[in-house]
Amino acid sequence: MSRNDDKQYRRSPEESGHDAVEPVSGIVAPVDRRRFMQLAGFAVGSAALAGCSRGVEHGVMPYLIRPEEVTPGKPYWYASVCGGCAAGCGILAKARDGRPIKLEGNADHPVSRGGLCAIGQASVLGLYDSRSLRAPLRGAVASDWETIDGKIGATLDEVRAGGGRVRFLTDSVTGPVEQERIGAFLSRFDDGKHVTYDPISVSAIVDAHRDTHNLDAIPGYRFERAEVIVSVGADFLGGWISPVEHTAAYRSGRRLDGPDWAFSHHVQLESRLSLTGSNADRRIAIPAGSDAPIIGHLAERIAGLAGSSTPWGTLPPCPLPDDTIAGLALRLWSAPRGRTLVLCGLNDPQVQVLVNYVNELLGNYGSTSTETTLDVESVSMQRRGNDAELHTLLEELDSGTIDALFVRGVNPLYDLPGGERLIDALTRVKLVVSFTDHPDETSMHAGFVCPEPHFLASWGDSEPIAGVVSVRQPTIRPIGSTRPLLESLAIWSGQPMSAYEIVRDYWRRNIFERRLNSATFEDFWNRTLHDGFARVRRVVPGGFGATTKLSGVAIMAPERWSAPANDRFALDLYPAPGLLDGRHAHNAWLYELPDPITKTVWDNFASISSLAAEAAGLVTGDVARIAAPDSRDGFVELPVLVQPGQDDATISISLGYGRLGTDRFADVGPKWLEGHPTIDAGETIGVSAAPLLRWVNRTLSFAGRHVQMEKTGLRHQLTTTQKHHTLEIPRRLSMSGETHRAIVQETDLAAWRADPHSGGHAHHDLATLWSEFPRQKHHWGLAIDLSACTGCSACVIACQAENNIPVVGKDEVQRVREMHWMRIDRYYSGDDADIDVVHMPMMCQHCDRAPCETVCPVQATVQSSEGLNQQVYNRCIGTRYCANNCPYKVRRFNWFDYPRDDRLQNLALNPDVTVRSRGVMEKCSLCVQRIQDAKADSKTTGRELQDGDIQPACVQSCPAGAIVFGDMNDEESRLSHLKHDPRHYTVLAELGVKPTVGYLTLVRNREET
Amino acid sequence: MSESSAALRPPLVDGNRRPGEVTQDISHSLEGRPSWLWWVGLGLSSSLLALGIAAVSYTLAKGIGTWGLNRTVGWGFDITNFVFWIGIGHAGTLISAVLFLFRQHWRTAVNRSAEAMTIFAVMCAGLFPLIHMGRPWLAYFVFPYPNFRGPLWINFRSALCWDVFAVATYFLVSLTFWYIGMVPDLATLRDRASSGLKHRLYSWLSLGWNGSARVWLRYETVYLLLAGLATPLVFSVHTIVSMDFATAILPGWHTTIFPPYFVAGAIFSGLAMVLTLMLVARKVMRLENYITARHVGSMCKLIIGTGGIVAMAYSTEFFIAWYSGNPYEQFVFMNRALGPFSWAYWTMVGCNVLTPQLFWFKKIRSNLVLVFILSIFINIGMWFERFVIIVTSLHRDFLPSSWNTYIPTKIEVATLLGSFGLFFTLFLLFCRFLPVISMSEIKGVLHHGRPHDGGGR
Repeated sequence: MSRNDDKQYRRSPEESGHDAVEPVSGIVAPVDRRRFMQLAGFAVGSAALAGCSRGVEHGVMPYLIRPEEVTPGKPYWYASVCGGCAAGCGILAKARDGRPIKLEGNADHPVSRGGLCAIGQASVLGLYDSRSLRAPLRGAVASDWETIDGKIGATLDEVRAGGGRVRFLTDSVTGPVEQERIGAFLSRFDDGKHVTYDPISVSAIVDAHRDTHNLDAIPGYRFERAEVIVSVGADFLGGWISPVEHTAAYRSGRRLDGPDWAFSHHVQLESRLSLTGSNADRRIAIPAGSDAPIIGHLAERIAGLAGSSTPWGTLPPCPLPDDTIAGLALRLWSAPRGRTLVLCGLNDPQVQVLVNYVNELLGNYGSTSTETTLDVESVSMQRRGNDAELHTLLEELDSGTIDALFVRGVNPLYDLPGGERLIDALTRVKLVVSFTDHPDETSMHAGFVCPEPHFLASWGDSEPIAGVVSVRQPTIRPIGSTRPLLESLAIWSGQPMSAYEIVRDYWRRNIFERRLNSATFEDFWNRTLHDGFARVRRVVPGGFGATTKLSGVAIMAPERWSAPANDRFALDLYPAPGLLDGRHAHNAWLYELPDPITKTVWDNFASISSLAAEAAGLVTGDVARIAAPDSRDGFVELPVLVQPGQDDATISISLGYGRLGTDRFADVGPKWLEGHPTIDAGETIGVSAAPLLRWVNRTLSFAGRHVQMEKTGLRHQLTTTQKHHTLEIPRRLSMSGETHRAIVQETDLAAWRADPHSGGHAHHDLATLWSEFPRQKHHWGLAIDLSACTGCSACVIACQAENNIPVVGKDEVQRVREMHWMRIDRYYSGDDADIDVVHMPMMCQHCDRAPCETVCPVQATVQSSEGLNQQVYNRCIGTRYCANNCPYKVRRFNWFDYPRDDRLQNLALNPDVTVRSRGVMEKCSLCVQRIQDAKADSKTTGRELQDGDIQPACVQSCPAGAIVFGDMNDEESRLSHLKHDPRHYTVLAELGVKPTVGYLTLVRNREET
Repeated sequence: MSESSAALRPPLVDGNRRPGEVTQDISHSLEGRPSWLWWVGLGLSSSLLALGIAAVSYTLAKGIGTWGLNRTVGWGFDITNFVFWIGIGHAGTLISAVLFLFRQHWRTAVNRSAEAMTIFAVMCAGLFPLIHMGRPWLAYFVFPYPNFRGPLWINFRSALCWDVFAVATYFLVSLTFWYIGMVPDLATLRDRASSGLKHRLYSWLSLGWNGSARVWLRYETVYLLLAGLATPLVFSVHTIVSMDFATAILPGWHTTIFPPYFVAGAIFSGLAMVLTLMLVARKVMRLENYITARHVGSMCKLIIGTGGIVAMAYSTEFFIAWYSGNPYEQFVFMNRALGPFSWAYWTMVGCNVLTPQLFWFKKIRSNLVLVFILSIFINIGMWFERFVIIVTSLHRDFLPSSWNTYIPTKIEVATLLGSFGLFFTLFLLFCRFLPVISMSEIKGVLHHGRPHDGGGR
């Protein structure tokens, strides 16, 4: 506390009016309600923390008089904006006793619609990262703001006087106020420029739309309106632009509930097996970078069908058979106009222009009100990177003409290829300021580091979609002496203001102008804070107003694509599912989150096909050297992973790994005789693949570079949570010749239409010797729609955050002792060329006749009167018989005590859930704490529990709405309807254990027209 | 000793010993200085015990994570060792109680040490359920003690609870039976004891035995009753141990054949262990006159019989798996024989099915070195039987996503070795401080004082 005494405190959103800031002065009044609560909460929290490690901490303030409106033990929810990536999902942050402990998607927010991805869920852990910077740095030395401001101010004055060049390098800034403030700051210089780039760049899409539709943004993708989706390498359910938003939309276009069901046909052409590809109805493997000729041929075919002619003579040859392209074109063309969607993930403006041309031919462009799939009004403002400007900046840096460089939200020395040259260039810049929250590759070469507080501890705003604005409000005081960018800029401009004032001021001046209703600004402001967002008049970026018609840009034939030579591969670089571009490299939850496809943890790897592996004599875990022959330092060495569905000529590597400082995770997990550390001191987790990135025509190119692969002879243990990947048992171990295990029910759309029971297998009435349990009012259960689940794994992290699940480290996962209460089983079927993937969320099935209950000698696991299978930690002696007897193997044993490597992160623990000790069994409780909470609420308010009042963490977080919780005794509940759906089945029903968690048959739209 | 009777039925005790000589032979080894061989044995076994204590202490300090278990395979060496040791104990009770009731006089020479073996094996066995718990300091939760927590009772449906009762009963009855049978001998030792402490200790233990006819009468009655009480335990204990598995729903465990299969297996393994121990004790304690080739031969024949039952059970399991049509059950057995743990399965079959067949040959039965080696093979085989049942059933069950393997850690291996250390340490101490052969009983089967018409039974 004492370190913050000179810090200014930013006022609460609810309290408007006087904006004075006052220093905290011990116990002297006036301390207002909110501040008192926050101070006390933090004081208690830090005291509790200190109790874990150090002696008595002074300055603890007990509640002598309870602050108004604060009930200890009752959570408060704040609507805010997620800062996990640039998508800008609306969140509700749950704060208990002054500290945020859980983030959930805001159900009203147009981007998240209630869901939140794994990264968003995990970002609460980052708030309590004790390794994040707590004070500004001068060089590598901790300093204080006064000194820093003095030094930076002096240098800036010098630069301004000399008319020097100032560059502000950021990732996509989705907050209008930050965008404006950076601009205002730069306007004080003769040559100031704001350069934006996204390390996982999609700038080609913006570039193409600027050319074709006069739109300086990404159009709104309306997956829910699409009847046919053809995606060439765009992983829109995974790491592409706005996955939560896309998942929700995609799923509302693929639902089988009720008579107005809709189910789009999704074709994915891709070089690696992506999350999106794993959900596609049809998947075609293509070499990385061959998107261009494929889109070109598709365009030609569709133009032919449309009766128009393509503006080119001949096309380079297509890597796919003619009839495949013809079939795709016909499928697209025969769907209603405007109801198809063609996407491409290649960051190449020329190809993206072709994609726009195809979509134009298909009539997909329209406005928000038309029923078309591409919306040029409610456009996405989530990505604003401009590779060309970045390229210019790099040239300027190279030539040594930049005087001051501010780096925020990006890490160019890590993100970009050609690191060494950049270091040299940086040393020639007079002033380099980084705003990073962890020391990173770039900040090592920055003169000053001005760390910003976590997004949960600072004011800001966002406009992810044109016309949808949100305020990001803090839920806790910043931990340590960090300062928001807005305040730093204000001070350096000579007009110190708090971030709160800056945001409000901007909103009063600019956003309020665009209001659709609300009489006064206070109304508008409070309404927005309460709802988490407001709809305002759209201002679509673009010079003259976007058009829905393709302007007269030159559509050119794609350049010839060259297939890699025999001993070469096409490279495909993609964002890591958890770490994205590496910005979450300090989050242990995300490292231990199994990759949704490969199920690996704590590593990145080079995916190769089994054919390629065989040819190179490699098996999973062999370290290979992957080098670009056209470059000296363009190589990486990392383990290969033989991946089904991978294109034979492609090597795929995820970006985001190998970040500086990740050797901190050496301390993760239990330490014992045979235990291995997750990482050795001085190493990094995974390997950075950025050296293999390259510039093509001033655009960052992620796919298609030709590389060589050599065996190094080294081995590296790749750890996966799943060891057997199909539902087939080895043929030689089958007595009857039958090898398939009917765990997952699957059918296709045509069969489902003919018979909604299709895919199921009838069970005879299963006799039982057991009598019915007496049930009280409720009988809780779950239904999981396998057709809806994309496998994104948001639920896994939501469960981890909600239920205080520890991180155990790579070695323990290798020993198959990960603690996640829910896992997503991923099964492959079919062969490499045409692979089908099933994602099956698996958690405690809460059997009515639970086999775990009968075998526990001490009744530590018992059936509740409401149908829950409960684990009583106090009573458990740890015989593990329950886990042995669980057919679903969903029980988790505490093999060790699992203290957090970072004790500060204990503040993220949910006080409603016991932290389990060593030696006890645990498992999914269906979030019983939430059930009890809702029941208690209903009791005190006298309001009957309504269907949907209770949402376990997994249900709440699911962007696809694939999991439904409810009361099976309530015939009208959504769950009861699903339980009576012909698609509903329970896994291993033949055992007679009567699970209350059920699944809905997976339907694939294989219908060919 | 007449030539004719000797030809008809070989004597139970060789060397035509007199009762006084018997007392001398057996007590002598307790009174003199122990041989160097004994010291070597004790040194080895107590070192193993120390290793085991270190391993268990480490486990208690760190957690069960120091074992190679995981979320799929929740039991490994721990319960394998438990079932193995419990099984070892069974032969002791069979020999001392069941054969007593069947008036098999040849048992007299081996019953004391076989029973000691039972006690020590059950002690080793009891250790494992205790230390395999995640929180062994709460082990008392498994007893239905009166309490104010509801009251909170144990789960009477759980086979693990039955196990607690079965093993505890078994241990107590065996201990009492063993001790009561030893009282007359303890009195003998008391009478021979020279030093004050030894004398006092043996007097206290011999419960004021005075050798009167009335005492003998009561002793015989109690002994008979205890034998009657112990006999059903031979069958009940391992039946209940088998239910630890049979009441589960796991394919490979969920089998009605388990009770008889386990009982036969237990006796089979126990006899092998008795042979192993007897053949060593015979040599080390110079008891060749008392533990004769005839004893060894009888036990070999019992091994053939129980081994046959075990082999039958192995094949029945496969047949039923096929016959049931249950694909999960079928898979488990195919996976045992041909899956990743097939080496363990075929070790088991080799040791338990093929080895006993060699005992059909009298030449092999009477070659004590060979018998010793083969008995060790059976011990190994029976340990693997439990390992196969537990681990191969668990490691690949219903959902292929959970399929996994099990690799024991050094700590587990050390714990297993430690249990052998405990067993042999206790056995060697027993050899040193208590009569390994029941003097009072063996005197009853001597030739001495019988008419020369074929006595000696």
